[in-house]
Amino acid sequence: MKRTRAGWYEAARKAAALVPYLAAVAAVFIALAPVYWLLTISLKREVDQFAYPPQWIGFTATLEHYRDAFAGGSFAAYFENSVLLAAISTLAALAIGVPAAYGLARFEWPRQWDHRIGDWILSTRMLPPIVTIVPLFLMLRQARLLNSLTGLAIVYTGFNLPFVVWMMRGFFEEVPKEIEEAAMLDGESRAGALLRIVLPLVRPGLAATAVFCLVVAWNEFLFALILTQTEAAMTLPVGIASRVTQYEIKWGAMSAAGVVAMIPVLVFAAAAQKYLVRGLSLGAVKG
Amino acid sequence: MNRRRIPEGFPWVLPSLVVLLALSIYPLIYSVKLAAADRRNFTRLFTDRLFLTASIQTIWLTLSALSIEFLLGLALALLIDSLARGRMFFRTALLIPMLLPPVVAAVAWRLIYNPQFGVLNGTLRRLGFHTADLTWTSGESSALASVILVDVWEWTPFLFLLLSAGLQAIPPEPLEAARVDGAGAWRIFRDVTLPLLKPTIVLALLLRTMDLVRIFDQIFILTQGGPGTATETVSLYIYRTAFRFSNFGYAAAMSFVLLAATLLFSRGLLRAMRAR
Amino acid sequence: MLEITGITKRFGAREAVSAVSLSACAGEFVVLLGPSGCGKTTLMRMIAGLETPDEGTIRLCGEDITRRDPRERDIAMVFQNYALYPHMTIAQNIGYPLRVRKRPAAEIEAEVKKVAARLGLSGLLANLPRQLSGGERQRAALARAIIRRPKAFLMDEPLSNLDARLRVEMRAELKHLQHELKIVTIYVTHDQAEAMTLAHRIAVMRDGKIQQFDTPANVYQRPLNTFVAQFVGSPSMNLIQRDGVILGVRPEDVQLSASAQAGASPGRIYVTEEMGNETIVVVSDGSSQITARCPAGARFEFDSTVWYRFKPDKVHRFDSSGARIPD
Repeated sequence: MKRTRAGWYEAARKAAALVPYLAAVAAVFIALAPVYWLLTISLKREVDQFAYPPQWIGFTATLEHYRDAFAGGSFAAYFENSVLLAAISTLAALAIGVPAAYGLARFEWPRQWDHRIGDWILSTRMLPPIVTIVPLFLMLRQARLLNSLTGLAIVYTGFNLPFVVWMMRGFFEEVPKEIEEAAMLDGESRAGALLRIVLPLVRPGLAATAVFCLVVAWNEFLFALILTQTEAAMTLPVGIASRVTQYEIKWGAMSAAGVVAMIPVLVFAAAAQKYLVRGLSLGAVKG
Repeated sequence: MNRRRIPEGFPWVLPSLVVLLALSIYPLIYSVKLAAADRRNFTRLFTDRLFLTASIQTIWLTLSALSIEFLLGLALALLIDSLARGRMFFRTALLIPMLLPPVVAAVAWRLIYNPQFGVLNGTLRRLGFHTADLTWTSGESSALASVILVDVWEWTPFLFLLLSAGLQAIPPEPLEAARVDGAGAWRIFRDVTLPLLKPTIVLALLLRTMDLVRIFDQIFILTQGGPGTATETVSLYIYRTAFRFSNFGYAAAMSFVLLAATLLFSRGLLRAMRAR
Repeated sequence: MLEITGITKRFGAREAVSAVSLSACAGEFVVLLGPSGCGKTTLMRMIAGLETPDEGTIRLCGEDITRRDPRERDIAMVFQNYALYPHMTIAQNIGYPLRVRKRPAAEIEAEVKKVAARLGLSGLLANLPRQLSGGERQRAALARAIIRRPKAFLMDEPLSNLDARLRVEMRAELKHLQHELKIVTIYVTHDQAEAMTLAHRIAVMRDGKIQQFDTPANVYQRPLNTFVAQFVGSPSMNLIQRDGVILGVRPEDVQLSASAQAGASPGRIYVTEEMGNETIVVVSDGSSQITARCPAGARFEFDSTVWYRFKPDKVHRFDSSGARIPD
């Protein structure tokens, strides 16, 4: 079939409309290729790991590195430490931070003290960790809490607390005050209205906040590196890092550990997707 | 009546205040005491060549990573926003790098960067490039740029996410009004989109700056500050001073310089953005 | 029954409510009427216990409740945005006050059914608030308020979120309900028509003070000052400066004629608005505008000359400060 000039024009226009999609696909490839490569290394036999040309697909897959890292090595213990630490510090930060968020969102404060306290709480989050880590190290050493999950849990709780207060305050402010007032007129006390009316309403926000705390604690590296120098309280990131800096690196086991370390984060992020923007911008942008 | 009474909400806030005083403010004071114990901790700052190098490299890394990430993030946000379909998929996929544990991301990049066995040089060689000079993180001249590249890969998604949300929050009416008024695509972007996006831009750059000046995890895994001092940053140097050489006082003094720089830089950025 | 004495509330340096005293008898329907920011809502919230007054006392059925918790007052309130619990069904919403009081489940269910039937909500009990229309939500909020037969009702502009037709319907419904229940009701609104139709007595408020507290008829026919005179009635009362006093004439007391008449002054037609059942005519006499209410079908051309005069026994007189001059 012969194309008319208009037909060619139409075809060119269609091709041009594809350009943005090609660019987007290229961006996704760049974003995901390193992750995929890590995954392949964790699944390859050692002979294939650094073969030339690089094998992107079609290699012989093996789970031996996962066995190595978790059954034979100490990564199972690190994993357990990380899980415990994330869970405990998140619960503690919520238990302390949620009432504060409620107090700032709901009560009358003279001379804008609610804003001043809120800003101050947020500003503690802005401190570079390296500034507080030296004194925290010395304090924990004095309290004999170095190399213990307890010590690290305390530090993480303090680290996540400003975030909890800031996020939850926003969620509380979104609940119309009248709903609570109606509950109090209906016969609830302040605490009763919070427990039975307000908390159920902010449950999605509470869950999102918890997810963010879990992810932060799970990914954290600097504090864990400095405050845990023995295997007893080593977390997954520190465990991985300690292998990287060794002379001979077992890439397979390390990649396997890395893959395992990123799975929970991705799962959590998917769960909290609706609140990702708000969480990452400390609640400043609603999303 | 009792006008000086304690606000009703105070008991609710008290536990948080106590915890933060103990874990943020007290350490800060402790840190002042550590640094002030010896006057030389401060005088040494001015003569320490390594500290100067680390500072310059931190500033350089912050500025270049910040500007690249901002431009790329904005471009990506506009690109994905313009797509008719598949937006949700692209958005989700592009976010993955920043969600990973930084240590894991850095490990992946060590696998990629390795000059002999890495997939990057492997692929380039396969495509016919000469790769003997491409040393990435192990070359003195290329190491810092390689570190910046990893940061760009990892954190452009953050700017993309925030700017993308900002774009979606712009109401359609001003854009439509500008079109009716006869503005072209570029003029609409410059005169309407960008000004309305500004609060989001300021916030994103601020948050990113604070993270960049304290950068530690990726460099610790990728290069440990080397080769030589090519990728030494202030955070890394503080870490080494305190926990390798047990010089806590000097580490504390340097950390105050870092804190001051963070504050100054954020403030400057805020002012610059307001003025424009 | 409900007695408020010398209530003052300050927010910072501003006095939102200044030394207000007010009382309502058993079963009375009292409307607090005023523009936004006049303190009417603050006054109501102090009755509810949601705000604490700085001075003064509130007594309900002889008991001093000034500093009691809201839940210990036995007062029900209907909020402007209804304040239904979004995560509970309509049945759970309505039954909530009884559940808090730990009544047996069977009794709650029976009561909910009864109240729901009374307000035409029987078919909606399993729904969530967001599945209901505005009018239905309004009735659900009302049901939640009446189920426990409180000592007093408070209503904060409960009809203002409804569209015009529904508002008139609900207004009548509300009035009848209150008549049936015979529970003292304090109702806040800025809508003078609502106040006139609902109230046994109206308290007109401005700048935290009560301007006049009287029956609708008296508030309309004998306004105590120019503020009340202009706030109540639509179109507003005409106020005309003359010889150091202010004359007030309601539009229905202005008579127009096309030809010169004894005691009438000339003016020009500024605009006419046909309402169907009547026509509102605005006449300009050079220095001021006078609004007149005429029968339907009255026809005047723009800018044509008319003669107007006031019904002599219907002219209100106010001094220069705005206070009514006794007849």
